[in-house]
Amino acid sequence: MNKRAVVTGIGVVSPLGIGHQDFWKNLVSGNSGIAPMECLDLSKYECKNGAEVKGLNPEEFLGRKGLRYLNKGTKFLGSSVKMALDDANLEIDEELSNQTGILIGSSLGNFSQTTDYFHDIVRENPSELSPMQSYDVALNSSINYASVVFKIKNFARTISSGFTSSTDAIGNALKLIQNGKADVIIAGGVEQISLDLYMIFYMRKMLAGANGTGSEISMPFDKRRNGFIMSEGSYVFVMEDYDHALSRGARIYGEVSGYGSIFAGNRSSDIGKRVEKALNAMKKCTNDAGISPDDIDLINANGNSGKLSDLIEAKAIKELFGEESENVPVHTVKSALGESYGASGAMQTASALLSINDGLIPPTINYEENDPECNLNIVGERLEKEVNTVLINSFDLSGNNSCLIVKKHE
Amino acid sequence: MPRIVITGLGLVIANGIGVKNAWDALMNGKDGTAELKSFDTSQYKVHRACEVKDFKLDTVFKNETTANTIHKYTYTAAKEALKDSGLSDITGYDRERFGIAVGTLAGELPPFEYLLRKAPEDKANGFDMGVALTYPPSSITTLLSEDFGFEGPNMISLNACSSGNHAIAWAFDLLYEGKVDVMLVGGGELIPQTEFTHFHNLKALAPEKCQPFDKNRKGLVIGEGAGIMVMETLDFASKRNANIYAELKGYGMSCDGHHMTAPHPEGAGAIKAMSNALSAAKITYEDVDYINAHGTGTPLNDIMETLAIKSVFKERAKEIPVSSIKSMIGHTMGAASAIESVVSCLAIKNGAIPPTIHYETPDPECDLDYVPNEGREINVNYVLNNSFAFGGNNVTNIFSRL
Repeated sequence: MNKRAVVTGIGVVSPLGIGHQDFWKNLVSGNSGIAPMECLDLSKYECKNGAEVKGLNPEEFLGRKGLRYLNKGTKFLGSSVKMALDDANLEIDEELSNQTGILIGSSLGNFSQTTDYFHDIVRENPSELSPMQSYDVALNSSINYASVVFKIKNFARTISSGFTSSTDAIGNALKLIQNGKADVIIAGGVEQISLDLYMIFYMRKMLAGANGTGSEISMPFDKRRNGFIMSEGSYVFVMEDYDHALSRGARIYGEVSGYGSIFAGNRSSDIGKRVEKALNAMKKCTNDAGISPDDIDLINANGNSGKLSDLIEAKAIKELFGEESENVPVHTVKSALGESYGASGAMQTASALLSINDGLIPPTINYEENDPECNLNIVGERLEKEVNTVLINSFDLSGNNSCLIVKKHE
Repeated sequence: MPRIVITGLGLVIANGIGVKNAWDALMNGKDGTAELKSFDTSQYKVHRACEVKDFKLDTVFKNETTANTIHKYTYTAAKEALKDSGLSDITGYDRERFGIAVGTLAGELPPFEYLLRKAPEDKANGFDMGVALTYPPSSITTLLSEDFGFEGPNMISLNACSSGNHAIAWAFDLLYEGKVDVMLVGGGELIPQTEFTHFHNLKALAPEKCQPFDKNRKGLVIGEGAGIMVMETLDFASKRNANIYAELKGYGMSCDGHHMTAPHPEGAGAIKAMSNALSAAKITYEDVDYINAHGTGTPLNDIMETLAIKSVFKERAKEIPVSSIKSMIGHTMGAASAIESVVSCLAIKNGAIPPTIHYETPDPECDLDYVPNEGREINVNYVLNNSFAFGGNNVTNIFSRL
């Protein structure tokens, strides 16, 4: 019999607030974290909106020592890990440190600071640059930092699989706990907005408001949707072996019970195939959780306002649920938070766990005009409803389709 | 209990391209170190590296930027490994049960370095990163999936110098749980100037050559290349009568939780990774015939690793041969442990172990049998393969004769 993985702590650094309490309060109130971006000079470009993290004081969580050497993403991750551990009321002592791992998904990590460093290499005499300039520039250095600061000694692993990175990290953590490889895993995702990242989406005309369409709004599944909004943040969970959590009397937010991942080759223009692969990923995930689609009472959708990706997801959901797809509620937090790429799956997981705990479904804001091709039961207004089992969809632009099942623990 | 076996291998390394060439070069102690050619090193104190030489790709990239990607190495090694395992064509199999996992430290960087060298001002002005084929890092596995038609789980392991072994460990679990039938796994790396500078300014680079465990060792030599293997369940391999190199018995992970760049001085994390690997493999320290060392040639690593081996292998420590192929192919960073895993399988299959070259002066603090300068023919039943990374991120795996 496999062990079970429950979540006992949530740490959030998000455009809707620092800490899961503010994040949730703003999310269920229908507030938006999207505004013109301040961290980048976008005067030359037409797409200016983004969902930036504001008001984080990393000193509060990490102390002052060494802070000046840390990059944005490392501060995000370190702060959210501290919050999650405090929330779980977990002290990592010598004994527990050997049973605790960290498993984080990030599509790019500190990539932007890495190219900044290279920029210095090109312009200056590289052999004279201080080693401290490259202290925090590896793509996984934020995870290394967290393992050192929080004395995590079982393992440290960083997964990069594009937009599904943190979904895959949480799925991998589930398996490692099920197989008894660790009692506690700090799992989640981190991502930061940078000009490097902006440019790739901008050049590919994937951002909302590209192509001269004007409105820079995240409108998932809405007929007017015209691309996604970039987002940043860090969302981490204390995932724990159920018996371990019980024995220390921990509060339990919910259980992560299933994971499935399929590669689709999304660069292909074969939409039918992409729908099939998204559907198969959902099926793989429900099978892994040992449930049927009928057991799902909420879908936390990938829906990021992308013209084609939302359509593909809607078609796949309809195929999975058949006629029932008119009833099962679907919402997406990306209407308020944007697309946080490698951190998105973890962002969605935070919302799913809080929905289960509070019996509340946050609204998909900006949802006004029904798209007959995406005809789902979209939750447009905040909804009070008991939630037991949530399907989380996480689809990458270039191929990975990964899903999670998060449910109320029994 | 499912057993996991290795049925295909592929190598692209500084002293040889293709498994046969590379193995002959390793056994003959051929040094792949030479003047570094891919960028100008005149402003540095070190000018040498282990670059892949005379490489020809059997597919054509559209432009120079995309030709600067690690895809050229991972693709070539993957193609060799798939051909070797008899899985070049997977028509008729359930593609969703064929997955890919590749480790890299900074494999996505060189194309951007290429672009920024040409036009540094683009960094501040914004430039089209989309022209770089391997962006973001997950594109490395995306490209392989598309090339070979694999539709199962797909990920990049970004775990610095233990990236390859992390990818292999992840694949092992997926196979063990029965989620997949076949995993194409390994690691790939090019030499980014960024990492060269990073190591150079940390004074971790040796000026001339890499001399693991030697008293006068001066650091690592940076390297590049790819090592890819085909892993599958024994059931699946038997059904299709595949040739089997070795069995992956298990892996052990640990994290020092100690320092961003320095290893734990007594090797606490390394000891734990090796011990965990032995228990996972259900063997004891008495069973291991050969240790494929992390052996970077830096003063700190080699002492730490020696201490850790002594702690785990007790009275047997001095009788087990320990060698580091980094003396010949350099430290290939994210690819290193994957390349070393391929070499571990070859040691079992060929009944021979490669030497640690440039071994001249014994170090009283490193007093094990490092297989100095000459390869050896010995019967190898169990190999332990170490990888330790910055951040104290350690993964050890154990291969055995089936």
